[in-house]
Amino acid sequence: MSRTSQAQYAPVDASPVKSFFVYMLTRDIKLEEAILDLLDNCVDGILRAEGKTNKTTQKPYDGFWAEIKFSRDSFSIADNCGGIPWNLHNYAFRMGRPPDRPPDTPGTVGVYGIGMKRAIFKMGKRCLISTQNGEHTYDVEIEPEWTADEKAWNIPVHPGKKTMKEDGTTVVVGDLHPAIRDRFGADGKSFKSDLELMISTHYAFIIDKGFQVKINGDVIRARATRLIFTKSIRNQKKEVIRPFIFKTKAHGVDVFLTVGFTRPIPSQDEIASEQEEKRYSSLDAGWTVICNGRAVLYCDRSELTGWGEAGVPRYHTQFIAISGIVEFNSDDASKLPTTTTKRGIDASSALYLQIKNKMREGMRLFTDYTNKWKLRPDESKKQIESGDSLSLEEIKSESKRLDFRPTKKSIPAGSQFKPELPLPKKIDPQTRRISFVKSKADVEEVAQYLFENRNADPSAVGDRCFTLIQKEAQK
Amino acid sequence: MKHPAYHLRANKAVDRLTLVDAIRRLEKLSEDLADYTYYGFGGPYLEDFRLLYEFFPELEMVSFESNADTYKRQRFHTPCHSTRLKLKKTEFKSFLARYAPGDEKSIFWLDYIGLEFSYFEEFMTLLGVISPDSLVKITLRCEPSDFLDRDETEQKKKREEFRARFQALLPSASSEPPLQFEQFAKLIQDMLQIAAEKALPSGLPLRFLPISSFCYADGVGMFTLTGVVFTRAEEEKVRHAFRSWHLANLNWAKPKTIDVPTLSTKERLHLQKRLPCYTNPGRTLTNALGYLIDVDRTKTESKLRQYSDFHRYFPYFMKAIP
Repeated sequence: MSRTSQAQYAPVDASPVKSFFVYMLTRDIKLEEAILDLLDNCVDGILRAEGKTNKTTQKPYDGFWAEIKFSRDSFSIADNCGGIPWNLHNYAFRMGRPPDRPPDTPGTVGVYGIGMKRAIFKMGKRCLISTQNGEHTYDVEIEPEWTADEKAWNIPVHPGKKTMKEDGTTVVVGDLHPAIRDRFGADGKSFKSDLELMISTHYAFIIDKGFQVKINGDVIRARATRLIFTKSIRNQKKEVIRPFIFKTKAHGVDVFLTVGFTRPIPSQDEIASEQEEKRYSSLDAGWTVICNGRAVLYCDRSELTGWGEAGVPRYHTQFIAISGIVEFNSDDASKLPTTTTKRGIDASSALYLQIKNKMREGMRLFTDYTNKWKLRPDESKKQIESGDSLSLEEIKSESKRLDFRPTKKSIPAGSQFKPELPLPKKIDPQTRRISFVKSKADVEEVAQYLFENRNADPSAVGDRCFTLIQKEAQK
Repeated sequence: MKHPAYHLRANKAVDRLTLVDAIRRLEKLSEDLADYTYYGFGGPYLEDFRLLYEFFPELEMVSFESNADTYKRQRFHTPCHSTRLKLKKTEFKSFLARYAPGDEKSIFWLDYIGLEFSYFEEFMTLLGVISPDSLVKITLRCEPSDFLDRDETEQKKKREEFRARFQALLPSASSEPPLQFEQFAKLIQDMLQIAAEKALPSGLPLRFLPISSFCYADGVGMFTLTGVVFTRAEEEKVRHAFRSWHLANLNWAKPKTIDVPTLSTKERLHLQKRLPCYTNPGRTLTNALGYLIDVDRTKTESKLRQYSDFHRYFPYFMKAIP
């Protein structure tokens, strides 16, 4: 064909391919995270059922539950969280969120309209969704033939076969993919352990508000981060252990940030032995980021949360006691700094980058304290152990008594409480630190001789040896 | 370094002999036991090595010991020539970092005396590198009193510490260390099951199957699990090899308790003619003795049921003139 002649180009087909949603999109998310997406839908259901919750109490979600069951043959999640309203049926089952969808209830987290479908296709080829909302009770069934047919986009809806005791939704997934069948079957024990740990940490704040989650019959208990807070009633001193707190409202998002100690700082021996041999399978250290009640990041110790940046040292075992929580709440979920999986932070979000400055500012206080007291862990331990270990809600409540200062120069402007942490008295410049390494058996032998206790603290053994020899030298 | 009298602990001795039984059945998976190497921690008396040399002289054996004096005692107690038994003065962790078995089949006994997260990690690392048709036995401390304290605050701290240390392997994020010995043993077994599933998930060609699990206390509570690593396609063959063993636990069932009674040689010889006993062994053996050996009839029957189960593994402690 001549370059100068006009070719007749037909329009290209840019319509979506079903297999992309069914087989490709599901690769972006871990199985546990996909199940958390289904739990998110349960909580969004509670928020839609406004009027049934008692927002004035500390347990607004009391009486609401979700029950997850899995075996090598099927997966199910059932809840009593209000069901899917019939006026949302044209949106809830679409692949993606259509622009004409009515605005959602404040506080929900669904933005992209993909979570439930992605979770279903991640697990299997067949699904039955039964839901009851008010006078509407209906079943939506997805069959393997539907997923294989590129042209079929409608899913049949049938009147519900059973009436539920309470409004809610049950999702049952069958025809599980072989890898999923193995995880629910042969590896079921470790999968349940992992899922339970994830829900108990990522959903801690929702569970603490009264929501009950069960996995194969076992009720999940919340495992929330708690920070040391010396209450002013007990201690009138200014220099005490309390967390750094910053709060603001920016870009339509309420932000509450707090960072502090979860436990006493580690001794040099503890740091050395932890580096040599891992004693803890998981740690509470690092940052937890919560968006509308759900943790999207848990105990992160990377640059994503400011470690190793702008004057904050890289995470190291010596900072094992430092932990922080940032809470973002917004009526409009699209303003929250999360990724589409809702289990990650959108690191390029302008709001998050601004808040990260404050996260680092707070962290520096506690890394500095750790460095100053690391040679005197016993004295520091007394200071930290004299405080109470408080949950996020308790910190919020207790912080009302604190003296917050406005931070007009910072972006975004807000108010903050900067604790005055105790400082060690000046170290005499004449002192010298002595450290040496001896075999464990030799240290135990000398410990037994000096203290009649083989397990005496090695630093105490070294100190006593020096004192004895010094007395000899002074004779 | 002080060591307990390992060789005089009756329940531990029974457990050691169950390993001999397990290895006999392992032979069904392999043409020749000479293809295997036994790796163990040995301790000062190398008791397990002495026993295995007695039953399986064709096995090559390797012992790990990092303490210099214990190592010297091992050299003193070596039960056979160094061509059969190699004493390595190293930590197991260091050995594991270098261990590359290739096709070599192995029998490992990770005979720990404590309960540490790093021991579970070593178990998982080993499962990840070991070749198929190998056997792994792991023993861990199982003492509920370690997590009790008269002071309530101290006890709370100890229990929280337990959760923090083992969280990634607990069957439930809120698992507490149980107060009862047998339940604590089951929890440790569950933790090892989770560790094994994580080390060899279904997507990999190899699998770990338990073949026996016991808990016992000679003063201090211990739990021990034995299992086989094999190619998934061979599962039926492996199950078949161990199915007929009366001590087999192929489905992660509750661990069996070893709590053998103290009987005199004369009593044992008297009971011998009634063994094996398949119907109501506790009552049969109690009637055969004609008197109680514990505080009441129920406890006596329970002890003698134990004797019936483990009599073939029961050691004789004799006075000997050196």
